[in-house]
Amino acid sequence: MHAVEDVSFTLRRGEFVGLVGESGSGKSTLGFAITRLSKPPAAITAGRILFDGTDVASIEDEPLRRQRQGGFAMVLQSGMNALNPVRRIRDHFGDIFAAHGHVPADRRDERMRELVGKVKLDPSVLDRYPGELSGGMRQRVSIALALSLEPQLMVFDEPTTALDVLVQHAVMETIRELQRDVGFTAILISHDLGTVLESAERVLVMHEGRIVEDGPSRRVLEAPEDEYTRMLLSHYADPRAEVVSLPGMEEAAVRRARGTTRAQDAVAEPTVGTRQRRAERAVVAEGLTMTYPPRRRGEEPIRAVQDVSFTLEPGGSLALVGASGSGKSTIAKMLTGVERPTSGTVRFGDLDIGRLKRRELRTLHRDVQMVFQDPYAALNPLHTVEYTLTRPVENFTGLTGSAVRRRVLELLETVGLNPVEQFAAKLPHQLSGGQRQRVVIARALASDPQVIIADEPVSMLDVSLRAGVLALLEDLRERWGVSLLYITHDLLSARLITDRILVLNQGRVVERGATDEVLRAPGDEYTVRLLDAVPDPRRAGMV
Amino acid sequence: MLCALRKLGLFALTLWAAVTINFFLPRLMPGDPADAALARLAQNGPVTDATRAAIEAQLGLPTGNLWDQYVSYLQQVVTLDFGVSFTYYPQSVSELVADALPYTLILVGLVTVIAFIGGTLLGVLAAWKRGTWLDALPTIGGSFASAFPYFWTALLLLFFLGYVLRWFPSSGAYSVTSDPGLNWQFIGDAAYHAALPAVTILVTSLGGWILGMRNTMISTLGDDYVTFAEANGLRKRTVALRYAARNAILPNLTSFGLALGGVVGGSLLVEQVFGYPGVGYLLFNAVINQDYPLMQAMFLMITVSVLVANFLVDILYGVLDPRTRR
Repeated sequence: MHAVEDVSFTLRRGEFVGLVGESGSGKSTLGFAITRLSKPPAAITAGRILFDGTDVASIEDEPLRRQRQGGFAMVLQSGMNALNPVRRIRDHFGDIFAAHGHVPADRRDERMRELVGKVKLDPSVLDRYPGELSGGMRQRVSIALALSLEPQLMVFDEPTTALDVLVQHAVMETIRELQRDVGFTAILISHDLGTVLESAERVLVMHEGRIVEDGPSRRVLEAPEDEYTRMLLSHYADPRAEVVSLPGMEEAAVRRARGTTRAQDAVAEPTVGTRQRRAERAVVAEGLTMTYPPRRRGEEPIRAVQDVSFTLEPGGSLALVGASGSGKSTIAKMLTGVERPTSGTVRFGDLDIGRLKRRELRTLHRDVQMVFQDPYAALNPLHTVEYTLTRPVENFTGLTGSAVRRRVLELLETVGLNPVEQFAAKLPHQLSGGQRQRVVIARALASDPQVIIADEPVSMLDVSLRAGVLALLEDLRERWGVSLLYITHDLLSARLITDRILVLNQGRVVERGATDEVLRAPGDEYTVRLLDAVPDPRRAGMV
Repeated sequence: MLCALRKLGLFALTLWAAVTINFFLPRLMPGDPADAALARLAQNGPVTDATRAAIEAQLGLPTGNLWDQYVSYLQQVVTLDFGVSFTYYPQSVSELVADALPYTLILVGLVTVIAFIGGTLLGVLAAWKRGTWLDALPTIGGSFASAFPYFWTALLLLFFLGYVLRWFPSSGAYSVTSDPGLNWQFIGDAAYHAALPAVTILVTSLGGWILGMRNTMISTLGDDYVTFAEANGLRKRTVALRYAARNAILPNLTSFGLALGGVVGGSLLVEQVFGYPGVGYLLFNAVINQDYPLMQAMFLMITVSVLVANFLVDILYGVLDPRTRR
């Protein structure tokens, strides 16, 4: 298999280049090839990579190891796991200095402090273990480690992907500053065209192993030459705009702008299995509070959620937004009865969810269903789509025999997996991320729920696949009258599919109201920060 | 430090629970040792009440209520006084165990440690040189050797090296002519006698350690911190040992703890096959002869050794893995 094919480009010294592509485009393969980190069976079958006139592939092992200092360095995708969990940060620096000897022994301590200072960390992190640092701090440490090599070329492979939105923003800021001050050549590999256009002077767009676009950021934004680049760009929008839309969602966007989404007149078309389709009961949370005991004795208890109240009307759509740790997922857990609130109540119709017994929870789950963030982890890899859907259909609707199969196919039809017969027979690994997420949604629909709680359903998907899944959620609400609680950190998607919004910061509601009004005229500083963190290609070339 | 103290407290609690269960279990069983002895005598002819009284007096029937018995039992445990063995009368249980224990600890314990260290090192090498003969040889050889049932390997070695070639003694822990004590002549002789059982244990257990370490190490080699260490140009030795192997060894420590705990109780088969006068051999005879005092002491010892081994590994884990220090 050719992951990368016939790719040619030249980097000038000190240039900041972005390499963009969706999953499977070969961008990371290219990054690993450039830094000679590809592992067998990966191999360069044709072509050369010249670094300072030397063919990278031809360097012997030991010279290769030595040239890592002052040559090319790499910051890995999941920087959170790039540190050895059993070694202190200090030892990580020590290992590098010992391996290359480029810093005299008596200056090493001073140099470590200087380096962690450059990535805006306190020198006290040097004596910590990686497990004691947050994800953002760990990624900063790995940048400092790469920097300690004094490289001429730095390859950043999705340096902020696994981080919280606000942290992502800050880490990217640091990377840009460092590149400006230190002056190394940088390649920023990312799936997010927005991030790359914001940071890099020049952009390479990869698609199916080839480079389809190569040019200055400004030019790529204003006059993209390739169809694929245009498609990627079309999936960005400003959540603050008057009318916000993505490809395939135009009509819904217009209805939303007019304030006439169709949920009110959704048809109660009976399905094979169950009674009605429309949501009839509201979800009402009052003074919802969740406090966890402290991790260590003597510390303050963790207040995950504090005094949150809201109402999700039948057929309504409510967004819970906030950065990680804001308590939004904890609220979802209380709504599904997985966790019981410390105080306050959450009701579904006349059911007090916090007081339900185990057996009653089953009844609740017939009406309240979850869609999870990671479609790769939410499906058992050994079961076909049909089997995955058959179980909840049997458990919740009591259908048997051929009726089950009819219902399964109907569900696949509903989530737009056509031809249904073919998809029913597939295993998860044969599906794309977007298709898997549709299966997860179909599974949530199996019991004909009144409420769907979607926890970051598109954050792990490629940009071009997101719109489709969002459109499906919107469609379900409009056509079937399902209520939607949409949990996200991404304000653009919240703007696209919800009517009301609740902004959470450290467990508290800081702002609430109609989604378009809140996002167009945010009243809280935290909401503004979240809005600024949405990658926006239009900021290209402004840095 | 606080964490170690908490572990120590937990250890003490478990130990007390084990000792207590060891006290109550025999009392929950029907019948008593005197009945067992009388039943054996009854096979040879009728037993009179006088005989019964004599046996009970000899065994020392418990007096007082359950609580008093429990208190005096605890005292005996603390002073390591487990009474007199039936089988080896009039030797005391503590004496018998004290004689047997060093042989088992040195033979099985030492070999288990050697197998763990050797197997782990070979596993590291195999994973690091994955796909070369340094990988194939220990991996295939190890699985081959450990696929044989333990006693089969033992019998093969015994037959060829002990009986046919007569290179090694076929039973016992030392020659009748040598004088047990701390002198070179005796140590050499004991090592010579221990060679065959030691090799058997080593051959059959090494494979497991090699495979275990190789597999966890291959997975840590794919971890990001190893790739990042390579990207930073660290020396190969550092990457292999301090990054990959250092993390790969952690899950294997748990199995090591289990193996160490099993040293005392699990040596039964080895010692039986090789007629080696260790704890396993003693336990076997105690069970065969329904020697209650000896059995009770040995069961307690097996339990305690499992607890101690797990406690030590737990402490070691805390030292080696900062994530568990909470």
